[in-house]
Amino acid sequence: MNKKITTQSIIAFARNNLIILGIFILAIITSFVEPNFLTVGNLQNIMRQFGPLIMLSLGMTFIIMGGFIDLSVGGIISLVAVVTVSLIDPIGQVAALMVGVVIGLICGLLNSFLIIKGGAFKQSEALFLTYGMSVVFTAVALIYTAAAPVFLTYSKTDYSIFTAIGERFVGPVSVSFIIFLVCLLILYIIESRTHIGRSICLTGGNMTAARLAGIPTEKTIVFIYAVSGIMAAIGAVVLASRVTIASPIMGKGYETQAILAVVVGGTALLGGKGSVLRTVIGTLLIIMMSNCLNLLGVTTYIQYMLRGAILILAIWLDNRKQYSEGN
Amino acid sequence: MDKNHSDPILEIKEVSKAFPGVKALDRVSLEVFRGTIHGIVGENGAGKSTLMKILSGVYQKDSGEIFFDGNKIEDITPVQSMKMGLSIIYQELNLVNTMTVGENVFLGRFSEMGGRKEVHAKARVLLDSIGCKIDTEKEVSELSVSDKQMIEIAKALSFDSKLIIMDEPSSSLTADEMQELIKIIHDLKNKGISIIYITHKLDEIFNFCDVVTVMRDGHVIATRNIDAISRNEMISMMVGRTIENEYPPRPNSVGEMILEVEDINTKLLKNVHFNLKKGEILGFVGLVGSGRTETVRALFGADKVKKKSIKVDGKFVNINNPIDAIKNGLAMVPEDRKIQGLLLQFSVDKNISLASLGELTYYGFINEKKERDISERQIKALNVKTPSGKTRIQLLSGGNQQKAILGRWLELKPKILVLDEPTKGIDVGAKYEIYLLMKKIVEEGGSIILISSELPEVLNMSNRVITICNGRITGEFDPLLASADEIMAKAFEF
Repeated sequence: MNKKITTQSIIAFARNNLIILGIFILAIITSFVEPNFLTVGNLQNIMRQFGPLIMLSLGMTFIIMGGFIDLSVGGIISLVAVVTVSLIDPIGQVAALMVGVVIGLICGLLNSFLIIKGGAFKQSEALFLTYGMSVVFTAVALIYTAAAPVFLTYSKTDYSIFTAIGERFVGPVSVSFIIFLVCLLILYIIESRTHIGRSICLTGGNMTAARLAGIPTEKTIVFIYAVSGIMAAIGAVVLASRVTIASPIMGKGYETQAILAVVVGGTALLGGKGSVLRTVIGTLLIIMMSNCLNLLGVTTYIQYMLRGAILILAIWLDNRKQYSEGN
Repeated sequence: MDKNHSDPILEIKEVSKAFPGVKALDRVSLEVFRGTIHGIVGENGAGKSTLMKILSGVYQKDSGEIFFDGNKIEDITPVQSMKMGLSIIYQELNLVNTMTVGENVFLGRFSEMGGRKEVHAKARVLLDSIGCKIDTEKEVSELSVSDKQMIEIAKALSFDSKLIIMDEPSSSLTADEMQELIKIIHDLKNKGISIIYITHKLDEIFNFCDVVTVMRDGHVIATRNIDAISRNEMISMMVGRTIENEYPPRPNSVGEMILEVEDINTKLLKNVHFNLKKGEILGFVGLVGSGRTETVRALFGADKVKKKSIKVDGKFVNINNPIDAIKNGLAMVPEDRKIQGLLLQFSVDKNISLASLGELTYYGFINEKKERDISERQIKALNVKTPSGKTRIQLLSGGNQQKAILGRWLELKPKILVLDEPTKGIDVGAKYEIYLLMKKIVEEGGSIILISSELPEVLNMSNRVITICNGRITGEFDPLLASADEIMAKAFEF
């Protein structure tokens, strides 16, 4: 197929991908102003930051596609990180890792159980409910550690898997990047080929109609929160391995960044449409943006403000698109 | 034209309006005379709503002239048109639910009226003038739909309206409430106010309109006095061809028992019981809120119930959710197509394959080729008019959307098909296609439970009719033997 490239089609593309374009322009400016941007060291730095956030964002994609939201992932990260690292000595690193993932799964199942039993089928209700759960998970982490951080490097037994996840490379790619690729592949296949993947979209599109046509909507809710919990747990392990420390508040703020990455990637906040592939782009952009701003010397507080502004812009653009499609 | 009312309140001359890709109105001309009730009928997309929105100033016309009360009107806003004396009561009423009745009547004009006390006093006078006794201090959210309509009428009167346009006011009214509305419409007429009454229902046109205009595809086909047009003429003008009958011959294929329902009890339903035979169409007659929809939802497992006992093919079955229902050979086309039936943002293909998705899945994976086959087969079989299977279903007409939902269920070859308001808001031509389809389904051995607010539809299609009132079954009739009056009396039994 030959599509003609006209001025109009370029304008339309620019309008539909406003945020992506904006961040690319920022990257180009940065690479001129600050030659350090395109060095191998900095690009590796971007890749390392990509690790924890992308895990959460992938899980959050399923949640948002299903028409829900999960603010508890920050709390899950904190809880899983402290429990996993502290268990290396008593039960060994492999068992500790498994316990960590299982805790993530249980947290996710708990969320979905409360949503279904509480009848919180609206996105806004799920928002408050998971916010509450985030506070609970963080509190449990604080109680468990008596509010003190746990140091990975103080472990007396072998913690080589964590070191590998945090630092090692296989050829040119980091171990955490390989973990990401495996997760992406599995989630992408689920999303595009399977019954449960379709059910997520259908539930996000119109839960009432999907349920009346025999789609197992409640199972779908359980599934997406379980996946989100597991992905948060994997994210927690990647994060703790990289910084070699687990603190009971280390997950704070990650939930909003994950939502930002999903929405900037172009998954509709209202549910029904989206893809984990889009989220990969969204996450990359968010991290690149903060990296550029760091290099340009913009302070963290102004960066927070910019993130907020971009989230609002992304939602506004998406609503406008939905509105024009609706007519 | 009617010669008794020689002075038109509204004159529309050669008005045209185009939207991208559609000519919504093509040189439409219309005169409405003082003190007449002027009906406008037409299928969906005939241009009725566009015309009304031009009159109220929501849209601007492309060409043509409009005179209201002798003055040419040009580029008006909705507020200006109300102040001129032209009010529109939309189907989805425009009231603020959290405010009181009085405040709604004078919304945004409190200071003009001289404060809160005056607002309520003046609202009282207006409501009394149409014989409405609602307390002006009451919050609108507590009122029934018909009461809300009264408030809209009072609001229109507060602007000294000379012309009130009502857009399908009867669609959510009970028969009693409808009688009230007709009385008020006559009162308004006697006060010299003209009414434009837009409707789908031909009976209403013949019951109380003086003049009727038929529209089709953006054209005015004809304007006639009501005694100079027959029902069949009107229908053929609306659809552009002659339809011999509104309904196909009644199917006659009733066989042995397939479904026995006992003791459905919920908050609303009390010991609801009925049965259904193979090849039968069973009609449910009752008001909105009588329990007719609740009964089929309970049967289908859509709502939780306290107690119920269901036998399919003589065996007790447990139906706790729609998935159980589908496994036992049930299917349901729910009442509100857009909210409960369709996934508007999804393609026609995905909307049709929805109920069959389980059967298309092998070890968790969907067979997409089979999915397309199913969709293609149903699109063809039911004559769904769509550019392709990939088109978003939102872009199809109501009739074609409904056929797609029927296709979704027919693919499963259900033993029992529940149709809740299957022809609501769809045009005459598509209705007839759906009736033919129902006939075909039962003749091939399926059974249908039909719920409809249109009594003639139930009476003409059903083999047997059950009346429901206040959550109880109040009667059972053979529609060939019972009169409509007898059946309605049971449906309104209190």
